[in-house]
Amino acid sequence: MFLSKIWFILVALVAGLAVTVALVAPRPAVQKLSTLEGQRLDRAQYAAEQMLKVDAHKWIDRVSKLGRDAIISESLDSASRGAGEINVIHKTVQDRFNSLIPDLASGGIAALAAVDNKGRVIARAGENDKEYGDYVTGAEVVADALRGYLSDDVWGMNGRLMRIAAAPVLSKGRDRIVGALYVGAETGDGFVERLKKNLDVDVALFLRGKPVATTAYAGMLGPLPDLIAQHAQEIEKVKRTPAIPFTAGNDQLLVVAAPFAGQAGQQQAFYVLFGKQPANADLPALLKNTSSDDLKWGRFPWIPLAGGVLVALVIGLLLMRNEGEKPLRRMRADLKQLARGDIFKLQDLHYGGHFGGLARDINAAIERYTHAPSAPSAMAGKDLNAILGDSAGGKAFDLPSPGSAFAPPPPAFPPPPPSGFPPPPPAGFAPPPAFAPPPPPIFAPPPPFSAASIPPHAFDADIAPAGPEATRVVASADDVDEDTHFKNIFDDFVATKRECGESITGLTLDKFKDKLRGNKDALMSKHQCRTVRFAVYVKDGRAALKATPIRD
Amino acid sequence: MSRPLSASFVVAAALLFARPARVQAGTVKGVVHLADEAGSTRLYQGYWRLENGNVPVQSSGGAKAETVVVLELSRDTHAPAARTVTVEIGGLDARPRLVILGPGSVVELKNTGKVTHEFSTPETPSLMPVERLMPGGLRRQLFNAPGGYLIRCSEYPHIAISAIVVKSSYFSALDEKGNFSIPDVPDGKATLKIWTRGKWVYEEEIDTTKKEALSIKVSGPKGKETKDKDSAE
Repeated sequence: MFLSKIWFILVALVAGLAVTVALVAPRPAVQKLSTLEGQRLDRAQYAAEQMLKVDAHKWIDRVSKLGRDAIISESLDSASRGAGEINVIHKTVQDRFNSLIPDLASGGIAALAAVDNKGRVIARAGENDKEYGDYVTGAEVVADALRGYLSDDVWGMNGRLMRIAAAPVLSKGRDRIVGALYVGAETGDGFVERLKKNLDVDVALFLRGKPVATTAYAGMLGPLPDLIAQHAQEIEKVKRTPAIPFTAGNDQLLVVAAPFAGQAGQQQAFYVLFGKQPANADLPALLKNTSSDDLKWGRFPWIPLAGGVLVALVIGLLLMRNEGEKPLRRMRADLKQLARGDIFKLQDLHYGGHFGGLARDINAAIERYTHAPSAPSAMAGKDLNAILGDSAGGKAFDLPSPGSAFAPPPPAFPPPPPSGFPPPPPAGFAPPPAFAPPPPPIFAPPPPFSAASIPPHAFDADIAPAGPEATRVVASADDVDEDTHFKNIFDDFVATKRECGESITGLTLDKFKDKLRGNKDALMSKHQCRTVRFAVYVKDGRAALKATPIRD
Repeated sequence: MSRPLSASFVVAAALLFARPARVQAGTVKGVVHLADEAGSTRLYQGYWRLENGNVPVQSSGGAKAETVVVLELSRDTHAPAARTVTVEIGGLDARPRLVILGPGSVVELKNTGKVTHEFSTPETPSLMPVERLMPGGLRRQLFNAPGGYLIRCSEYPHIAISAIVVKSSYFSALDEKGNFSIPDVPDGKATLKIWTRGKWVYEEEIDTTKKEALSIKVSGPKGKETKDKDSAE
């Protein structure tokens, strides 16, 4: 079983390694995807910045072109010089606005205003178009325009963002600045939708910690301003944040935030671009994100996988067969042989590992039962000398005398041990008292596969005793007549003596039978039994006989 | 309760004669070279700032108008008296944008424009938290501790008022060329600090006994970059 164990350990290790690889392998890909998504957001942010820049220039161009209108120029010149009624000039400029740009909203204009060279508002279009006469000189973009600059800015006021572009208005002779125009471009929902369309990412605008407009995740952006605020240093240095992980509902996002230019940048005005983080690489996420397409033949290596599993199974089964089933079958066959009496004991050297131990244990059990007493009958299996005792007129079998048919040397019939190691039972091999059936008949077939089940002929004469206490037994069947029984015992006895290397000179069947009959009669009279059965056994390397009184 | 005139003379004379004889008065002067971007009138730049190509642009003011040089002497000096300064907020602008005060002075913000403002001191919000200032409204703020404070409108961040609370009279604004002059400075060690556009941008220990003109170059928003000293006059 050693190789089988090693194989199973290897299979488990490979399986563990495979699971580890399966779980770990996606991680670099996830990290790479995350990096790529971050880079995509970086490019989107750069593109957004360029869009804002180009957009600002476009608005400057527009307002500059509008400022070159003669009516507007002359009107602002009059207002700057204090010539004419302000109301009339206001009306003139406003009408001109409406005629030049009839639909401000479609052009993305939220507000349009004209100021004289002192910064006084002459006319407005769009928002607050009824108001005029107030001063906006302090607005930097307007002050710049009155100094001669064309510039832009981003304002955040009243919870809204507005991109502002302003340009000076020159006199008819283009030698003086007579005023300025500024336009406020819509920077809300329409703007973020346009950004999303161009950048292919979701966009949100923030002003003073609150979302102004967004293309997605509305209502889930609350923690984002604080998250962005943690990257204030990076914003200060590189005018943008790195890709920041952010969770909006069930979506794992990456966000890149960048401040708006102009004074809105001072008001925590950001545009934020959203990208989706790659799915997690843990097992539930992997399973969740696995589709049936992923398991199709062309996409999944079914054949190598099935081949690998098959090879592993075949190798495992072969190893189990060689190390488990095969020795087991061999042992079973051997046990059958043992049961049939074809062999005397299991050849434990033929088995390896635990089976070898099992064979040795079985052999030990056989040896044990060979010596075990018969519980029901104190005399069953006892040495003849022990049974007959002195009352039988000395040794029941005085075989050692030279020339006698029963002449084993004196050690062949030593006195039985007083206890603990009783003489072996006869061929019946009665089980130990704990689970033994009643003794008579002694040769009743015991349960299979126990030491007691070994039939009388199970002991092979070729098998030598394993040690000084080991005893070889040649039993005889119970259902034969006396002559046949004596003949069998004689044959066994002769064979056993030969096997033990003892001389059989002078040993004849008739003398043997006479001796057995005499002993049988003595035993029957002593123990009041129906008959006596004899058995041949090997004791201390010499052939010996045992007698078992049979009462029933 | 007014103090008797004779008593005032006595106090003034006592102060005059009590000054150590070794202390001499001198003038600390020099020129501050601000960074190029400080020449702009704008605090916050957009993406573009282009000249119109027809009429020369007018460049005036810039950060120099909002710059002050302050000397802090190691010895005790007399702080300027507390006063109330009114800053008018109108036309999306604040006038004046720089006020120099003694401890205990009050800055009065008066909204003369048509829009609502929200003024505060963002760096020290506990001193002056955000509060709406409606058109026509007035807000008064007391400044006790010496230091520089920037009062800013959160709706229109370009509207920022620098309130410099000094503990001595040794300070000077810059002229158009960036020159400054602080007369009657006692000899000894002093700390020269420059505030421009809402923050301290320069600080240096000087020895006023040397009587040499200072040439200080300040570039970048973080302040101190390089400093050159001209030969003594």
